[in-house]
Amino acid sequence: MTHKYYEFFCPVKVIAGKAALEHIPFELTGLAAKRPMIITDKGVRAAGLLDPVIAACEESGLEIVSIYDDVPPDSSTTVVRDIAKVYRKEKCDSIIAVGGGSAIDTGKAVNILVSEGGDDIAKYSGAGILKHPLKPFFVVPTTAGTGSEVTSIAVITDEKKGVKLPFSSSFLLPNAAIIDPRMTLTLPPHITAATGMDALTHATEAFTCMAKNPLSDAYATAAVKKISQSLLKVLDNPKDEDGRLELAQASTMAGIAFSNSMVGLVHSLGHATGAICHLPHGLCMSLYLPYVLEFNLEDIRGPLGELLLYLEGPEVYSATPASRRAEASISAIRKLRDALYKRCQLPRTLKETGKVLESQLESIAEMALDDGSIMFNPKEVSLEDAMAVLRRAWA
Amino acid sequence: MMLSKRLQPMIFQARRAYVELMFQVMGRALQAISEVDDITRNETRTLPVGFLFEMQVMPNGPKLIVEHTGDGCLYFHGDSAPRPVDLSIQFKHIAHAFLVLSFQEKTSVAFANDRMLVDGDVSLAVRMTRVLNRLETFILPKLVAQRAVKEYPADLHLPNKLMNAARIYLKVATNLVETARA
Repeated sequence: MTHKYYEFFCPVKVIAGKAALEHIPFELTGLAAKRPMIITDKGVRAAGLLDPVIAACEESGLEIVSIYDDVPPDSSTTVVRDIAKVYRKEKCDSIIAVGGGSAIDTGKAVNILVSEGGDDIAKYSGAGILKHPLKPFFVVPTTAGTGSEVTSIAVITDEKKGVKLPFSSSFLLPNAAIIDPRMTLTLPPHITAATGMDALTHATEAFTCMAKNPLSDAYATAAVKKISQSLLKVLDNPKDEDGRLELAQASTMAGIAFSNSMVGLVHSLGHATGAICHLPHGLCMSLYLPYVLEFNLEDIRGPLGELLLYLEGPEVYSATPASRRAEASISAIRKLRDALYKRCQLPRTLKETGKVLESQLESIAEMALDDGSIMFNPKEVSLEDAMAVLRRAWA
Repeated sequence: MMLSKRLQPMIFQARRAYVELMFQVMGRALQAISEVDDITRNETRTLPVGFLFEMQVMPNGPKLIVEHTGDGCLYFHGDSAPRPVDLSIQFKHIAHAFLVLSFQEKTSVAFANDRMLVDGDVSLAVRMTRVLNRLETFILPKLVAQRAVKEYPADLHLPNKLMNAARIYLKVATNLVETARA
């Protein structure tokens, strides 16, 4: 009798490619929504990324009733409450989040308040609290990395208590994710690199951690292939629309993969480093990925070796003996990091970031041990193990 | 076919009784290990005093509740909590609890397989899972413990294991007798 078991769930309609934004009015109308509110941040607005979204809606006679463009990088309960107030005052009936992880998480949290009622988002924190579908919710990602458009979680900071509130429910998933290459075309090189490595880490951990399953594997491998083939090309030619679309799709696919198979030690260390040293999440992923793979090597030799096909292509894969493929996959990731460093100085070690002190490593290790994702790392991690990985990532 | 149908209720009953018994033993053993093992106490010491931890089978199945009473010490409350619990790890079905408690599925695999839900602070759930793993490595024979935990600790040698296991079992037995007398 088999002992294998898995669950896989992704009800998000993915609308991707050329003129994808122009599908928003039709899709909203299909959900009987007529008064959408846009939630975004100042950076997105300043970059002119809202213009094509607004134009696409107005051209179809759909008025954007309200735009909130002041979402901070770390969204808070106060911001969520304020946006919900505007939503109610303007009698909106749907939400379009345009931006990166913070704008999307804020959109998810606002959707809870405006659908369930009340002003206190904290009371909906936790897993499985929501029991009903929420208002129509669309996401337009402007980075290609977080995968938040297909995840059922959101994190909002409670400023008064100084804690991060997690929200987890399948009802947080948007009705549609709109992946349009225009939205990532102007992303600066270092953000393109860091978010690309974020997506690569999502896919790699999804494919090598404990909750991997056949469906998440399919998304993970496809994402790794797209990132390997397109990341450097896009950095060399930032206006490459096809390449940008490939990266944006890879990010969504990696998001689907990891939200159904979870992640491991790279994320545990990355979350802790982000909290203690305030480094961007994608950069943290890039810093730790090869060292964690080396640490996990003997437990993930099989799947990691398979990834070589998607990282380096069939010629390299077939020319590499099966027993060396896992190591070759790690080398391919190191090579990619070197290339990113050469192109946009994306740091490869903690020391190169200039923002981490060696004396902080122990606090990072201790915090990482209590991170939820460590549960799904294929190998047990002790404090000494975490410190050893951090020392290797140091310089 | 008919026989297996007739036996089924008995099997279900036996499974439930086993899970109830294991929760009773584990609850007492958690209290005991927090009294005899420094490494466990280092883990539990950082829990808030009065912190209530529950393991439960959904929807209203067997449960165990322990409280951190301070300085890393845990107290077993049986299956009723004096107030709302702070952290609950819930098996979705008694069959899933049986898989884990009969060591057919590791705790970490059960999490990965979505057999359990965490209601509360996930970082504290990770900590409590480490405590449960530590307990299992002490009280189970190495061959069984290897089936229960992700990795059997290389630095846990037989004399240390036997000594601590004996102290934990003695405390569990004493506690069981005291409960029976009361």
